[in-house]
Amino acid sequence: MKRVNFYYCAKLTFDDYVHNHSFALRVIPPESETQRLISCSLNITPYVSTQQTVDAFGNNVTAGYLKGDHRFLDFEIKGAAQVDHAKSRTDYMPCYLYQSQYTKPDDALKSFYGQIKQECTADSVSDRAKYICGALASRIVYEKGHTDTDTTAAQAFALKKGVCQDFSHMLISLLRMDGIAARYIAGLAFCDGETHSWVEFWTGDHWEGIDPANDCPVNDDYIVISQGRDFRDCAIDRGVMFGSYTKQLQLVRSILT
Amino acid sequence: MVQLKQGQFMQAVGNAAEINELLRRYGVKFGIYKNGVFNEQFFPFDPIPRVITAEDFGSIEKGLVQRVNALNEFLYDIYHEKKIVRDGIVPEDFIYISKGYLAECEGITPKNRIYSHISGIDLVQAKDGEWYILEDNLRIPSGASYPLIARELTRIAAPRAFEENNIVDNRGYAELLKETMENANCGGIRAILTPGRYNAAYFEHSYLAELTGSALVQNDELFVEDNILYHRTYSGGKTRIGVLYRRISDEYLDPLTFLPQSLIGIPNLMEAYRSGNVGIVNAPGNGVADDKGIYYFVPKMIKYYLGEEPILKNAPTYLPFYEEDMKYVMDNLEKLVIKDVAEAGGYGVVFGSDLTKERLEEFRKTIIAEPRRFIAQEVIDFLDLPIVEGEETVMRKADLRAFVLSGEKTRVWASGLTRFSRNPDSFVVNSSQGGGFKDTWVLSR
Repeated sequence: MKRVNFYYCAKLTFDDYVHNHSFALRVIPPESETQRLISCSLNITPYVSTQQTVDAFGNNVTAGYLKGDHRFLDFEIKGAAQVDHAKSRTDYMPCYLYQSQYTKPDDALKSFYGQIKQECTADSVSDRAKYICGALASRIVYEKGHTDTDTTAAQAFALKKGVCQDFSHMLISLLRMDGIAARYIAGLAFCDGETHSWVEFWTGDHWEGIDPANDCPVNDDYIVISQGRDFRDCAIDRGVMFGSYTKQLQLVRSILT
Repeated sequence: MVQLKQGQFMQAVGNAAEINELLRRYGVKFGIYKNGVFNEQFFPFDPIPRVITAEDFGSIEKGLVQRVNALNEFLYDIYHEKKIVRDGIVPEDFIYISKGYLAECEGITPKNRIYSHISGIDLVQAKDGEWYILEDNLRIPSGASYPLIARELTRIAAPRAFEENNIVDNRGYAELLKETMENANCGGIRAILTPGRYNAAYFEHSYLAELTGSALVQNDELFVEDNILYHRTYSGGKTRIGVLYRRISDEYLDPLTFLPQSLIGIPNLMEAYRSGNVGIVNAPGNGVADDKGIYYFVPKMIKYYLGEEPILKNAPTYLPFYEEDMKYVMDNLEKLVIKDVAEAGGYGVVFGSDLTKERLEEFRKTIIAEPRRFIAQEVIDFLDLPIVEGEETVMRKADLRAFVLSGEKTRVWASGLTRFSRNPDSFVVNSSQGGGFKDTWVLSR
C-alpha cells in the first residue's frame, strides 16, 4: 500500500478564437479496489460549468460546453490516492476479449503471434502474458517521434518502434489472439513526466497489470486515470469546436510523488 | 357490402398514373446512393392494395408483439447482465463480433427499459398462407410514411373503396408514434433529428415531424449543456429536448463517443442520454439484436425470456458457424439464399441458384473461410401479389414491413409497407433495389 500525490495539467491552445466548444475529459482517476482517492480537485479555465458521469468502462467523464469565444482550454488536476495492488480489481467485460479498432492485427502481427505461440510453453494466463510481453519487448524498440495517437498496433509493429501507447496496443492484440482478455490503461507512473500507458489482463478472476514499454509488472507506483478497449476509449480529452483555427497545441505535464 | 378475402382483391383503387403524379408533386421520393452519386427516385406506387384479413392480422399482431417484447428483453440483458450468453443460449462470439454491439452503451438503461421503440419487422407470406419473419429492423426502420401518404391520396382518388370495404383506418400512426415518443420523453419537447435533405428518407422525416407535431431538427441547431440537450431557437434562446427520434445511425450520433469524424452528430449527446436527461428513439446499440446472425436466435429468445412458444416462424435458417449447419449449407448451397450479415437494404444477398458453377465454388470457399459472416436460408415460395403494369395485371413477389411501436404497451400498426419486386424473376423487394410499394389494407372483420 502506498499513498501517492498526483498532479496533471494540459493546455489546449488555438491560434484563433473558437466557440461552441463541447468537450469530454477523462481525467479524474476512477476509484476501485486498488486505488482510493483521498482528495482530488479539477480546475478548468476559462470558467465553464461541467457535469460528471461514469462511462461504460468505468471512467469518470467530465463534460462541458464553452459557448463563447476563447483561445485556450486549460485543465489541471491534483489530488492524493491510496494505491494497493495487493488487492485486485474484478470489473470484467467480455468485450475485452475481442480485437478493437487499434488492436486489430494484420498478417505480420498474426504471424508474430504464431511464432510466440509455438515457443511459449507456459500454462497459466499470468505466465503466458509475461512471456508474450517479453517477446514483444525484445522485438520492438522504444523510440519517440515515429508514431502518433492514430498509430495502430499493426502499424507500430511494422515500424518496430513506438512509445508506451504502441507497446500497449501491440500487447493487447497479442493477448487477445491468445484468448486472454486485455484492456488498455492510461495513467501516471513514477519517473515519467508524461502520461503513461500499460495493459491489464484478465487472469480468470481478476485483473493484473503489466507494463510492456518497461517489460515489468505494475506496482503501487502506477495510478489509473482511464481504461478501455484501446486508446480510443481512454483519450484524456475529446472535443468538438467551431472557428477558423488551424492548429491546436497541447502541452502536458504530470508529476507523481 | 363486398366481403374481401386474401388475394381476391385484384382491382386497382384509383388510377395509378394519377396517384403517382400526386406523390411526385408531394415530393414522396426515395434517395439512393449509387457509385457515390446521390439520386432521388420516385418510389412507384401500385394501386392494387394488399389485403390482410382481420383473422390473419390478429395472429400476426400477437406474434409481432411477442417478438418485439422478447427483443427488448434481449437488449436490456445484453447491455446489463448477459444472462442469455451465460446460460449458453446465444454464443458469446455472436454478440461481440457483431458490428451492432456497442460497448459504449453498456450499463445504460433507457427510460421504461425500452430499446426498440419503433421496430420494422419484415414478413412474407408463403403460398400455403403461412407467414414467416424475414428480418427484424430495430435501428432506424424507415417506410411508415409511404403507406400513410398513399392512403391519403387513394382516399381522394377513390373514396368509394373506403365506404364499401371495412378497412381499418391507418391514420392512427401519428398518434401511435406521438405516444411512443412521449413514453420515452425525459422532460422537454419532441424532436426528429434528420441528417438533412440529402438523406434517402428526408421526405419521411419531415412528414412524420409534421404529423406528430415534433420539431424537425438538424445537428447544428442542437447542443448539450450541463448534460441536457437543447434546441437553439431563432431568437437566441434554447428549448430543452426531452425525446429525440433520431434518423441517423448510431456511429454518427455523438463524435465524442463514437466516430470522431462525424459531422452530423451532437457532441456529448451520449452523456445526456446516460444521465437520463433525454430519450433516444431508438436506443443506440440496438444493432446487436437485428444482426442477421442474431435473427437465428430470436425464437430461442422468446422461449428464454417469455417462456412462450414463438407464434410467428423464422424462415428456416442455418448458421455455418455450427458444424452441422455448415455441412447442410455445403450440401445444399445451390438451393439456398445466402446473406452477408454485415449488409442491409438487399445488398449482400446471393441466391445459390443464380450462381455459375465456378462462382458457387468460390463462394463455398468464402463461407468456409468466414463462417460467422453468413447465414443461409431456405428460399420461401412467397405468395405473389397482383400489380398493374401498363394495361395488364401481373403477379410479383412482395413482402410486408410491419411497424411495431413500443410505448406503454407494444402495439402493431394496422397497416404496413408492402414492397414488391418489379422484376418477375427477383425475390428482392427493397426500395433501394428498384422495387415499388402498395397500400396495405387490414380489414376490420
